[in-house]
This record gives sequence, C-alpha cells and structure tokens, in this order.
Amino acid sequence: MAQDFDVVVVGAGPGGYVAAIRSAQLGKKTAIIEREYIGGVCLNVGCIPSKAMISAGHFLHRLETQAPEMGFTVKGISHDMGQTQKWKQGVCDRMAGGVEQLLKGNGVTIIRGEAQFKTANELTVKVKAGATESVTAKNFILATGSRPIEIPGFAFDEKLVLSSTGALALGEAPESLIVIGGGYIGLEIGGMYANFGSKVTVVEAQKTLLAGLADPECVQVVQRRMKKSGIEFVMEAKAKSWTKSGSGAEVTLEVGSNGTVKEQKLKGDKILVTVGRKPNSDQAGLKAIGLEIDARGFVKVNAQRRTSIPHIFAIGDIACQPMLAHKASYEGVLVAEVIAGQNRAYDVKTVPSVIFVDPEIASAGWTEEEAKSNGHPDLKVGKFPFAANGRAVSLMETDGFVKMIADAKTGILLGVHIVGPEASNLISEAALAIEMGARLEDVALTIHPHPTLGETMMEAAEASLGHAIHIIQKPLSAKLGASGARATV
Amino acid sequence: MATKDIQLPELGEGVTEGELVKWLVKPGDKIKADQTIAEMMTDKATVEVPTPSAGVVKELKAKEGAVVEVGQVLIVIDTDGAAANVAATAPAPTAQASAPAPGAKSAPAPQAQPALAAKTNGGGRGLDVYPPPAENRVLATPATRRLAREMGVDINQMLGSGIAGRVTREDVSRSGAGATQAGIPSFPTVARGLPAGPIEERVAIRGIRKKIAENMQLSKHIIPHITLGDEANITALVNLREELKVQSEKTGVKITYLPFVMKALLASLREFPMLNASIDDAAQEIVYKKYFNIGFAADTPNGLVVPVIKNADQKTILQLGKEIVELGRKARDGKLSLDEMRGATITITNIGSIGSTFATPIINHPEVAILGMYRIQDKPVVKKGENGKLELDVMKVMNFTVTCDHRLIDGAVAARFLAAFIGRIENPGVLMLDMM
Repeated sequence: MAQDFDVVVVGAGPGGYVAAIRSAQLGKKTAIIEREYIGGVCLNVGCIPSKAMISAGHFLHRLETQAPEMGFTVKGISHDMGQTQKWKQGVCDRMAGGVEQLLKGNGVTIIRGEAQFKTANELTVKVKAGATESVTAKNFILATGSRPIEIPGFAFDEKLVLSSTGALALGEAPESLIVIGGGYIGLEIGGMYANFGSKVTVVEAQKTLLAGLADPECVQVVQRRMKKSGIEFVMEAKAKSWTKSGSGAEVTLEVGSNGTVKEQKLKGDKILVTVGRKPNSDQAGLKAIGLEIDARGFVKVNAQRRTSIPHIFAIGDIACQPMLAHKASYEGVLVAEVIAGQNRAYDVKTVPSVIFVDPEIASAGWTEEEAKSNGHPDLKVGKFPFAANGRAVSLMETDGFVKMIADAKTGILLGVHIVGPEASNLISEAALAIEMGARLEDVALTIHPHPTLGETMMEAAEASLGHAIHIIQKPLSAKLGASGARATV
Repeated sequence: MATKDIQLPELGEGVTEGELVKWLVKPGDKIKADQTIAEMMTDKATVEVPTPSAGVVKELKAKEGAVVEVGQVLIVIDTDGAAANVAATAPAPTAQASAPAPGAKSAPAPQAQPALAAKTNGGGRGLDVYPPPAENRVLATPATRRLAREMGVDINQMLGSGIAGRVTREDVSRSGAGATQAGIPSFPTVARGLPAGPIEERVAIRGIRKKIAENMQLSKHIIPHITLGDEANITALVNLREELKVQSEKTGVKITYLPFVMKALLASLREFPMLNASIDDAAQEIVYKKYFNIGFAADTPNGLVVPVIKNADQKTILQLGKEIVELGRKARDGKLSLDEMRGATITITNIGSIGSTFATPIINHPEVAILGMYRIQDKPVVKKGENGKLELDVMKVMNFTVTCDHRLIDGAVAARFLAAFIGRIENPGVLMLDMM
C-alpha cells in the first residue's frame, strides 16, 4: 500500500527541510525522504563541521601568535585532534537534532531511505536491505543536492585521497597536505590545516585563486596572508596522477600554460581534491521519468523552480547555480508557497556569498567589471581599510577592507566586497541595502554603533562619496564636479 | 575574421518550426549576447529569439514570413575579437536587455548558456512565469516586488514615481487597480466614408491570424458541427455572485460568471464523459480524457487565442477566477506561453461579454464540444404563483449553446447534456454537491 501525501520532499538538506517545514505550515500533508543525514551535507559534512574545525584552527593560531602580544605567556600548548573531532561532531549532532525536532513538531513525516522514482507520480524508498516502501504525492520537491567532483586518477578513498567530507574527519592533522583546486572549499580546509600545523600546498589550474568567485583585490589580501602563514601555491598546474610514497603520496603535476608545460612532483601525506561539486541528477531515476536535465547536470527549472514535469519542483544545488545553502533555503520556501497556490518566483537582486578563509571574504552584488558590463559604465568605488577601525585594531585583525561600488549618476549601490574580520557577519547589511535599492547616502547616513566592525560599512559608503572621516581623502572642494572620480585610499 | 552561424534555438516543447514574423536586427548591427534578434511565431505564441553570442551581423539567412526549422541557420555573425569587445562594453541597447542576476556570478559565461534558458532564470523552456521576475534595473524593495507579483502586475513594465524611478508600494497598488478595470474590451472603430488613396489594401495573412485561419478551416473541414441552444433562468446565480463578489474582492480577485459556468460544466462533464473526449482521426479511436483542462476563448488585439486552465476540477471558484484574470491579461499582452494554450479538453466561448445573445461557435479541434454563453437579459418569464395560478415575473436570463462533433455525440445526448448543465447553472446550490 502506498502512502499518499500532498507534498513529498526528497532530500533533507538546507533546501529540502526548509521546504518541508513551510509546506507543513501551509497545511499540506508533507513527507521528507532522507538517505543519509537529516540536515544534509550542510549540517553534517559541509558548512557547519567545516566552520567548527576552522574556528578551532583559528583559536589555536591566535593562541600561538597573538596571545603573547596581549600579555599572555602560553607554554606547552598541546592539541588533541580526537577531542576536536568529538566536539565538532557534537556541534553537528546538535544542529541536525534541532532540524529533526522542527520537522516532527510541524507534523512532517520523516522517511529514512534511498528514494527512486518509479513513475512521475510514485517513489519507492529502500528503507532497509530488502524492504521498500511506496510513496505517492500530488507534488514532489527534489532537493537531492550535489557531490564532490572526482578527477581522473584521483578516486576518493578517504584515506590518502580525500574529498571535503574525509578531510573534515581526520583523526590528526597531516604533516603535509596537497590541496588540488584553489576554490573556496580547498582554501578553507587548506587554511584550517595550516593553522593546525600542516605544511599545505595548493595546486590551482587557473592563473588566480578563487577565479570568478571573489573580487580580485580581496583575493590578493587572502593570498598574501596565506603565504605568510606558510602555505605554498602552484598556479596554472594540473594534477595528472599520483603514486604511493612511503605512508604518503607523490603527485605528478603539469605546470605552465600552452607551449611551456613542465612536469613537477609534489610529496604529501594526504591529497585533498576540491575541484567543485556536481548535481546529483544522475540518481533517483530522474532521467528515467523524463525530467529535462541540462548539459551541466542541472535539472531544468523555471523561475518558480518548476521542472519540465509540472508537479515536480527542484531546488538547491540540483537546480542551478550558485550552489549555496542559503539560496536553497530561499527556494525551499518559494516552492512550498507556489505549491500552496501563492504566486511566487525567484526574484532576488543578489545571493550573498561568503568564503571562510583567513581573513574572511564576503560579497553581495557585482564586482566593478560585472557592473560595467551590465550597463553601468560610470562607477563610484570607495574602500575603507579595517586598519582604520578601532574594533578591528583591538581584535588584532587589521588586514582587509570594505569596498563599495555604486552607479556614479544615481548613487545606487551595485556591489559590496569585504575582506577582513567577520566579513561573513557584515555582508548581510550590504545584501539588504542592495535588495532595497539603497543609495550610498542611505548607508552613509545610517548611524552605525561605535566601536564596531560595522562602522566600516558606513565609512566605505562615505569613501565612495569622497569624504570618509577616518582616512585622508582629497578635500571636498577639489572633488566637486569630478564625476565618477574614484576615491583614493 | 571569425564568423559564426546562429541557429534557431528550441522554442518550446514539441515545437519544430516557427514563422519568422520580424527581424529586429540588420546586417552591420552590433549585437550583444542574449539580445533579441527576431520575432518568431509558433502555434499561437510570438516568441522573441535571442542570440547566444555577441558579434556583428553579417547575413540574415531567412526572409520575413518564411518558415524556419529549429536548428536551421538564422543569421551569420562576425565574432571577430574587436567587434565582439565593442559590443560587450557598449551600454545596454534597451532597458529590456536581460542580464544575469548580480548574485549569479558563478554561472558560466553567457556564450556557454542557451539563451532561451537564461531568459527563464535557469532553464525550463515553455514554463514561463507571470509576472516575470524583476530585471536588475528595476528599483523596488523585495516586499514591493512581491506585492506586484501577487497582484499580477509586471513590475518591469512600470514607471516608478520614486527617486531614480523607484517603484513604490503605492505605484503598484494604483497599477493593479487600473489593470482590473482594463478588462473591458474596447470596440474597434470604423472610419466613416471612403479614405483617400487606394480603395483596397492587401495585407499578408500572417502570425496569429494565419494560425486562426488554419485551425478554423481544419475544424470545419473535419468536424460535422451540431449546435443546440436553450435559455437558463440564472436569477439565483446572479444573486449568489453579487453576494460572493464583496467577499472575493477582499482577496483582490474580481469574480465573473465564467468560473461558475466552469464548475457547472465540470460537474456535467463527469456525467457525460463523451463530451470531455477527442477523436484521434489517424487511429480512428475515441480518446476519453480523465482530466479536465478548460480552454476559454479570449479576444485580443491580434485576434482570438484560447488560454487553458489546467486541471480545472482541482481548483476553487476563487482560484479559477484569479487564473482567468491572469491568463486573460497575458493573452491581451501577447505573453501566453505555448504551454498555457495547449491541452484543453473542452472550450468555453463567452461572446456574451461583448453582447450577443446567440451564436454557432466552431469547435476547437481535436476537442468534441464547445460551450457558448451569452448576454444576460431581463426577461418576462411565466411561473406558477401561490394558488397554482400562472404569473408573469421578471427574471435574469442567459442563453447557452452546446456545439458538438456529431460523429461522436448525437443530438439527443447533446440535448440531455445541455439540460443537465442548465439544471446546475439555474440552481447553483446544487454545485455544492459536486464540490471537492
């Protein structure tokens, strides 16, 4: 006998569980199917555990480098990675447990097992070996996410060749770590192990790190700091193969651009491969029921996240870029409301993004280049450095800046890029400002409390207008009439 | 010099060709990626065709009016580095140019994206959402954008009254109110007397008009039509709707008689499944439909189109009312997607909203029936008084016709169906019995 529901959500990550809760709130008989963890990659092997580990690494780093200057004598620091792992697991369990409580509290039926579409209207769920359940529904929401991409010759064994999942579960920090892929996951985990004392080498295929993911000036600040902490970079390099070498591995690289390719070998205890993630659209029988899937593996959806089969919706990593948890959650609410008959669409100006490197990078809206190619030839750009902010100095975190980009004629905010302490917590103000269509004056004329890191937002807005208080800019009188002048910092 | 052939992209599910209505570029023009280059006509919808690549137009490979197949080369462009760069840095040619959302920065370069997919915010062709999401240039808070969506107002078409063209909450409220009143069809005016110049004008039959002509001819050619008509006393329905109108307008939906007629029709179709069917001419088989998609004829500046309410049996009167208003508006604006005009299992024509009291409609092939509804009139009706005496009374009366495919539906069946339908529409309370 099939269990029948109004809405069945497949996948309990940050897209799926949010969709299920909102759906139940709207009075729909809702079920959620999860094969592995409630909370998905995000809460169990992604965002949350990586942030716990990064916090721990950062704590150790501060203890070693900053505490003495503040007057502490710290002797004989010993670190037990096993305990760090235990604590990290506690953080994850607590968050995932909270999600399960919320699902139950809202009356969502949780079905644990692997789902497979039999027809467009019926799922079979393998609940345990040999046992299946049949589930039917008026509407389905696919939220089955993505998984790390493997490169040829580097199959994950999670012992020597690690994915992000394996890298977050190591019992001790490796002596040396080779990170293949200088994107945000590779730099976050690589930076974390550098703080734990590993010798980290990052191998990147492009000329720059975080290519296309962050403002180039922000990346420079991070790269400089990473180099200072001993991380090495091999740019324009492709990992070709690896062999065992003692208890570790030796990786063969091809370094250089067309014409001048040289072979290079690198030794390390572990290899971490973070070259991106791909949608899980090849699973759950999605192709067999005729769902349209694009060349990059995303399930094709419209602005309401409806697929080519009208009663099936797709959200999060499986639907489209950017593959970010908060975008998935927004889509989860959106789709639940569409199914409940409300007119909703994916209608946002920006998806803020955050990279937990040291210092953090966060951005909302366009870079200067993107703003120009989107019909804003004249820009006002202002920067304010954390070195001029009292709170940042008292935190001993003075690297970085806030950059604001606005249309020169209208003053409307187009992009904000932050590299520096707590950039991740500062960016929400920028996202709100961009969604509201705020102008530079709106940010500059909002009183920001002193002494906080947030003052840098107000000051960056003032800098874009040409008259920040806490940095020397040319006199106002000299600026009058100079439209689109770029503030000098 | 690098040249590139731009082919006609897929225009929608199952669409293999389209008629080129109009070129929007000419040789020598610099075009940007995703710029609209031509208008194509498919089935009943006009589709804007964008170019996936930037460059300079070298050659147009089709003439206006020609039929172009999907995959056939439409234009040849010169993608020479210099030319492409100029195009990329030039300001957007019109405010309409759609750009990726600022946050979608990790999406691949525009050249790599199928242009049509980009327009629908992430793919899913033929699944357009109305109103479309706000473009980047639109200045409005998230709450205002949502209000516009809920009121069915396309915020991209609005001129904001605020600073730098900001669309305010008040702008949206005003525009929403105006849009509902604009539902009254305008009457074409005919010039009196003969105009100066030639006394005849020749215009090619093209676009929607051509499609209408083909469909009507096909239907009349294949289907032996039979039309039956009767008069219904809809006094109770008029009273009911007056009562519900106040209630429904609180939710922002103006309820017309059409949703009630749909409900009575649906209940009657369940009793007479033969009318919710089609004839597969090739296979010589009758196809009984177990789902109920109701088309309704809509008069637009370009001609007749028939938007379809899918799964109408699963919708409330309020939902039907709202969808009718939305689809009607899209029909008038020429914004219906192909999917919104497909898959009807039966059609209603409401010529009465313009004024006639009787017509002989044409069936929307391959359906087998069309219901006609006409003007409401006050009429004297003979009824039985208290003492059993016959008395005259003034009643609200509407004529209904049912036109059937006589190959499948005999006159007697059609008459019984019409009687069953009228029984329901005269006693709208009975509809409660069929409610889900």
